Amino acid sequence: MSAPTASAPTVLAETPGWWERANKATLAMAAVTVLLFAGFGIGADNFLSFGNISNLATQVAITLIVAVAMTFVITTGQIDLSVGSTVAFVAVGTAEMLKAGWDSSLVIIAALLAGLFWGAVNGWLAAYQKIPPFIVTLAMMSVIRGLAQLWTQGFSVPIDRRLYVAKIGEAKFLGFSALAWIALAAVVLGAVLLARTRFGGYVNGIGSQEESVRRAGVNTDRIKMITLMLAGLAAGVAGLLTAARLGSGSANSGQGFELTVIAAVVLGGTDLFGGRGTMTGTVIGAVITGVIANGLTLLDVSPFLTPIVTGLVLLAAIWVNLRGRSLSDLAAHLVRRT
Amino acid sequence: MGDRPLVTLRGITKSFGAVQSLRGVDLTLAPGEVLGLVGDNGAGKSTLMKVLAGAVQHDSGQITLDGRDVRFASPADARRERIGIVYQDLALCDTLDVASNLFLGREPRRGPFVDRRTMHRKAAETLSELHVRVKSTYQEIGHLSGGQRQAVAIARAVSFEPRVLILDEPTAALAVAEVRQVLAMIRDVAARGVGVILITHRLQDLFEVCDRITVMYEGRSVEDEPVSALDIERLVAMITRSGTAEEVA
Repeated sequence: MSAPTASAPTVLAETPGWWERANKATLAMAAVTVLLFAGFGIGADNFLSFGNISNLATQVAITLIVAVAMTFVITTGQIDLSVGSTVAFVAVGTAEMLKAGWDSSLVIIAALLAGLFWGAVNGWLAAYQKIPPFIVTLAMMSVIRGLAQLWTQGFSVPIDRRLYVAKIGEAKFLGFSALAWIALAAVVLGAVLLARTRFGGYVNGIGSQEESVRRAGVNTDRIKMITLMLAGLAAGVAGLLTAARLGSGSANSGQGFELTVIAAVVLGGTDLFGGRGTMTGTVIGAVITGVIANGLTLLDVSPFLTPIVTGLVLLAAIWVNLRGRSLSDLAAHLVRRT
Repeated sequence: MGDRPLVTLRGITKSFGAVQSLRGVDLTLAPGEVLGLVGDNGAGKSTLMKVLAGAVQHDSGQITLDGRDVRFASPADARRERIGIVYQDLALCDTLDVASNLFLGREPRRGPFVDRRTMHRKAAETLSELHVRVKSTYQEIGHLSGGQRQAVAIARAVSFEPRVLILDEPTAALAVAEVRQVLAMIRDVAARGVGVILITHRLQDLFEVCDRITVMYEGRSVEDEPVSALDIERLVAMITRSGTAEEVA
């Protein structure tokens, strides 16, 4: 038999070059980002000023915080459409609790717990009751926003500017807003969790072949539930920060927010079918969605153009992300029972 | 070989409702032996192996492992007795790299983090020992050939240091050169003293690596012969029961 008996190792633990490792979709989007910055920099003089960049960071922050968590959800092959509604619910809850005279620190904890709770509801229904996450979160999107509207009867609830929570929305460190710093912390935490821990490995593995991971003795249902809880928690943070920044809580905030978040994640190169998640890509994707909105505003075009462009960008992103598979494959993937 | 058997199965039966899938199977396996398990579709090979791997519980009969009677209630029980199985679907994750797949579910850790350096070093050692040919442990499984994937799956099972290793159709749908690599690997594994049970439809593979062949027919073990006493025509006759083996021979 021709079995090689050479003493030299047949397999090397050799790191391939960065080009081989790099997610090509992410790389392409990094190039797009550079082009966008160059284009808007030429088109609008103040686009590249420090003030505008700092402003841009603040605008991107809330999307980015939720996009970090959504990266985990999408990488496991799931989706969460309810984050926009959770943002509204928590924003309303924050304003109502402050109005009722609760202490700010207590309100912050309650707001985060509320987000986590909705994430847990999504996660339990999707992972343990085996209802496709697309369906679960579509239904919960309606339920959660409905509750927020019922609570406020449609009115916006103002927040006293002197309260600690309201000050978070205006605080600045080293020229950047507290929101931007919180987003940076979320990105670092998410990147480490995804790339350096067992949890991150299983998230990728589940998106690729869940049964293989399950047979390796991993509780995959629990991991899928945790990713949806992370999304809920992140939406809770986003809701709190939205209320703090706007100085009010409205049941109508965060409309279409889930689309912006999903667009950011998918634009960055995270595979919509799961199995391949990139946190760097998510940052790039969030920046692109932010830059487009910010740049269009500076160019003084109609504000109604922004949602049109955002929607078209999402469509383009999904188109690129399909990588040769058809849209019906995606539809089948999203509503399958896992 | 041929001394004290590692595994002995006696009169194993198993019914699924009204269907009697196993009607009394006898089988023995010695350490370091490669046993070929053959039979037509529906003869009960896979069910028998699932019994041995703990994935299916038998109704009656006896499993003896190293002289002790054992009974597996779950795959974890069988794994604890160091019985390894590689199913046809391999249980790999395409988007993870070779090392991550090899250590899936038991990644070495440093504090809360996966110790990637150690994981890749150990993976390279394990694979090199088995003469697996993969360029790098950082390669994604999805980018490997069928033979390489099979080799990684076997290496993964071997890294649990099994006493018994069951391989279900490891050479189905592989290119010729890849079949040779997998067969060489099976011999390597057996040379370490592991008892290997090979299920395959490729009869020529049996003659290359097996020491002995057990034939199953309609839920029974009907023949058990050393490979040296067989040729391919006789083996085919034994599997299809077209006349008794003696008549053909």
